[in-house]
Amino acid sequence: MSLRRFTHRSQKDNELAEEITSHLAHEQDRNTERGLSAEEARRQARLKFGNPQVTRERVWRYRSIAWIEDAWRDLRFALRSLTKTPGFTAVAVLVIAVGISVNTAVFSVINTVLLKPLSYPDPQSLVQLMNLSPHGSFPMANIPKFNTWHRQTSIFQQVAGYDVGGAGMNLTGGDHPEQVQGIHVTAGYFALLGAPVVAGRTFTTMEDSPHGGHVAVLSYGLWKSRFGGNSNIVGSTIQLDGQPYLVVGVIGRSFVTDAPADLWVPFQFDLTSQEMAHYFTVAARLKPGITLPQANAQLKLAVDEYRRTYGTNSLSSQDGFGVVSLEESIIGDTRFPLLVLLGAVGFVLLIACANVANLLLARASARKREFATRAALGAGRSQIIRQLLTESLVLSLSGGLLGLILGFAGVRLLISISPGGIPRLGEGGSAVTLDPNILLFTLGISVFTGVLFGLFPAVSVSRPNLAATLNESGSRSGISFRSSKLRSALVVSEMALALILVIGAALLIRTYLKLQAVDPGFDPHNVLTMAMSISGDRFQKTMPVAQVIRDGTERLRAVPGVVDAAATNCLALQGGFGMIFDIVGRPKGNAPFTGGAGFYSISYSYFDTFKIPLLRGRRFTEQDDGSAPGVVIINQAMARQYWPKGDPLNDRLQIAPGAGPAFAEPPRQIVGIVGDTHDDGLDRDPMPMMFIPLAQMPDAETALNSRVAPLWWIVRSNVDPHTLVTPITAALREASGGLPVAHVRTMEEIEIRTTSRQRFNMLLLTIFGAAGMLMAGIGVYGVMSYSVQQRTQELGIRMALGAQASTLRNMVIGQGMGLTLVGVVIGIAGAFWLTRFLASFLFGVKAWDPLAFIATPVLLSAVALIAILIPAQRATRVDPMTALRLE
Amino acid sequence: MVLKRPPEAGDILQGTLDMLILRTLVTGPAHGHTIAQVIEHTSENALDVEQGSLYPALHRLEDRGWLSSQWGVSENNRRAKFYQLTAKGRKELAAATGRWQRMTRAIGLILGEQNE
Repeated sequence: MSLRRFTHRSQKDNELAEEITSHLAHEQDRNTERGLSAEEARRQARLKFGNPQVTRERVWRYRSIAWIEDAWRDLRFALRSLTKTPGFTAVAVLVIAVGISVNTAVFSVINTVLLKPLSYPDPQSLVQLMNLSPHGSFPMANIPKFNTWHRQTSIFQQVAGYDVGGAGMNLTGGDHPEQVQGIHVTAGYFALLGAPVVAGRTFTTMEDSPHGGHVAVLSYGLWKSRFGGNSNIVGSTIQLDGQPYLVVGVIGRSFVTDAPADLWVPFQFDLTSQEMAHYFTVAARLKPGITLPQANAQLKLAVDEYRRTYGTNSLSSQDGFGVVSLEESIIGDTRFPLLVLLGAVGFVLLIACANVANLLLARASARKREFATRAALGAGRSQIIRQLLTESLVLSLSGGLLGLILGFAGVRLLISISPGGIPRLGEGGSAVTLDPNILLFTLGISVFTGVLFGLFPAVSVSRPNLAATLNESGSRSGISFRSSKLRSALVVSEMALALILVIGAALLIRTYLKLQAVDPGFDPHNVLTMAMSISGDRFQKTMPVAQVIRDGTERLRAVPGVVDAAATNCLALQGGFGMIFDIVGRPKGNAPFTGGAGFYSISYSYFDTFKIPLLRGRRFTEQDDGSAPGVVIINQAMARQYWPKGDPLNDRLQIAPGAGPAFAEPPRQIVGIVGDTHDDGLDRDPMPMMFIPLAQMPDAETALNSRVAPLWWIVRSNVDPHTLVTPITAALREASGGLPVAHVRTMEEIEIRTTSRQRFNMLLLTIFGAAGMLMAGIGVYGVMSYSVQQRTQELGIRMALGAQASTLRNMVIGQGMGLTLVGVVIGIAGAFWLTRFLASFLFGVKAWDPLAFIATPVLLSAVALIAILIPAQRATRVDPMTALRLE
Repeated sequence: MVLKRPPEAGDILQGTLDMLILRTLVTGPAHGHTIAQVIEHTSENALDVEQGSLYPALHRLEDRGWLSSQWGVSENNRRAKFYQLTAKGRKELAAATGRWQRMTRAIGLILGEQNE
């Protein structure tokens, strides 16, 4: 087809008119020739031609794109009719905007976290190496595993290892020392992730070998902030942990890792090492054409190779290796909570839709005469439906636009109250940006909601009984049976949806309260914590670390206001290391070791500082140092699990059996049992735990610890610990020879952070539930007051016949509460089915918690009752005379 | 925008009118009134339509490039718009005639079989 068809329409129409005139003239000529009178000739010519206007219209229509013109007309009409009722329009747009904005906000986060591909080149072929075991899979690696995986060149193009969190490094040599995030990586790391090098180069294989020298690669951010973007930085030397490091390169700004890094240093693995400690993760790039199943199959074979090389005890027979996509591994278990959140906001949107549909129904009922008139003038049913849909789409798209703006403000709020640990959001949620996905999503739900809430009223009022409607008087041309049923159905579904949301919120509130009531097992009040990085060469042996701890503890105790102080390699509530052990003299059966437990290296004053109660035996003392016999203290959970009958204090523990000669140590006597602490989080049962004195660690382990984790200081005070930050950091700097501290937080802050996920979920669902309940309340109010208004006459007659005001009020209340109760029953059933998806969010509460399932329906009914009381009261104030005179 | 949809009865009739118009113009250019009369006579009034309905068809065929038109003076010495077959229109006529003949033959066969 050609565009010719649609151009110069008026000109062509004029031409056609002329053509028709010419045709008629010719026909008239012919008729005259046949002997007809001029008048008759003209008449017959016209008769034969038909209506010229119709012909012109047909050609005109053929030359137009009908639906665009119709839509344009509908749109103008819709705007006119909506601006005539500004109150209605504002309420409807606002309700939709709220519904759409929460959806846009949640979708923005989901879009960033779940949908956007990783920022690395060709992200589909990036995988994370995993250890598979019957208890689940985890991504940590040791050097022998890295060595084995590295050799699987049939499936991997590149393999690289890197720190997960890192210990932090002390950058000195400037005006002020600074702890920076230094990540250890293997040489292939930058190539694997396609990091852009803006200056210099990355590490060579030689530099990533033992004794490869001190070299570092800087991030763009650190280069700019600390070194002012100095163009001569490559080749210069910086001071890291008191050692000179040669800067060999700078990585571009676009390279963003999920745990943000300030600089990178090479691991310098000795690949012949038999060291069994897991302290880094490994990622790889699959060769082109290799699928995940193929890679997993090859890794099954690699397990045998690993056992052959490192001994059958190096890996239990049930364990193996595998890969998952790197993206999957980064997203981890954030996917499910986000999808539940999306489900909840979907409910809010549905309630908003039902609410607006109700408003539109009322409006449409009031406009019945208008539609009947239009139908009488020849409008088809589809034209009326189209007109009403256009109005609802105008509403929903305006709401959508407003919702997009509100949603973008909302997403900042969402991120600011969100718990740390949602991956991929960037610094302060900077990765969440407006992109076509979000625009499409918002447009999509706007159109969807517009059609959804527009279609009910449109279909219901477009079946006009012309004569009946036109004949009715204005006041009586009210709600038809059908539309009143529809409105009731909408209110019922609003109630049901709102109840499901509120029950969900109630469950999460209960969860949060239960969590608050959990005794962490220590006293977090007035305890300050901070991290000191000890990653330099000075701290490769236990002695100097123990010395710093001893000095530090003494200096801290001398600070006025400080009650006690201690050091540890893991902080309570932050999770710690796991370690395997044997109980000396106890048969192990087939297992390679007796069991595993959390493993803390602590200074002797740890239990006193945290006020963790000693249940039996003794605490560590200053005398439990490297020269004294090895001792270990266990917690109650461990005593219960491994000594259900016997006495642990009679036994000795062999820690890390078979870990290689560097970590070998004689068995340790169990000298005490302490109370349990919830170190894996308040929602987890206390795990078995072992504590050993930091001063008694094997040197190799100290070296490893110093590299992968900072030393944590904990200080108990009898004043607000925030006021002591300056003297405390000064004391520690003196004791450590100038080391800075970072992550200064009180234990109470840490405790709040550990429950922040639950608080976040609770807060959001409570907001959504409250919004849903409010909208449902407005919905039932709207239906009941409309019904009262429509029934003014009936009420008036009843009154005239002697009905009591209270009877009328109760009648209205009864009807409204009837709707509410139906909604509540459906809602309870729905919630019963849906709350199972919340099960993983709950703590100490069942998904069918009776309190939530009884209290929230009562609450919702109360809200509905208040909403109904207003129209019910109005029903009693009907003046019979006025009502009857309305006729 | 034109949506493709399967031809219905109306389209077949319209196609027939198109074909008759093209057929009429084989002998040379003609204006609307002439075309109407020729069709009326040759089809033995079988397609008794209002003459007005000829014009949408003419305009459609012109848009498709099967006809060209220009204003001229008629045999009655009146101003009239003359339509003329283009090369493209000639090709279309041949194709349409072929289609029409195949279809009528098929219809004939079907009706003939039923009669036996």
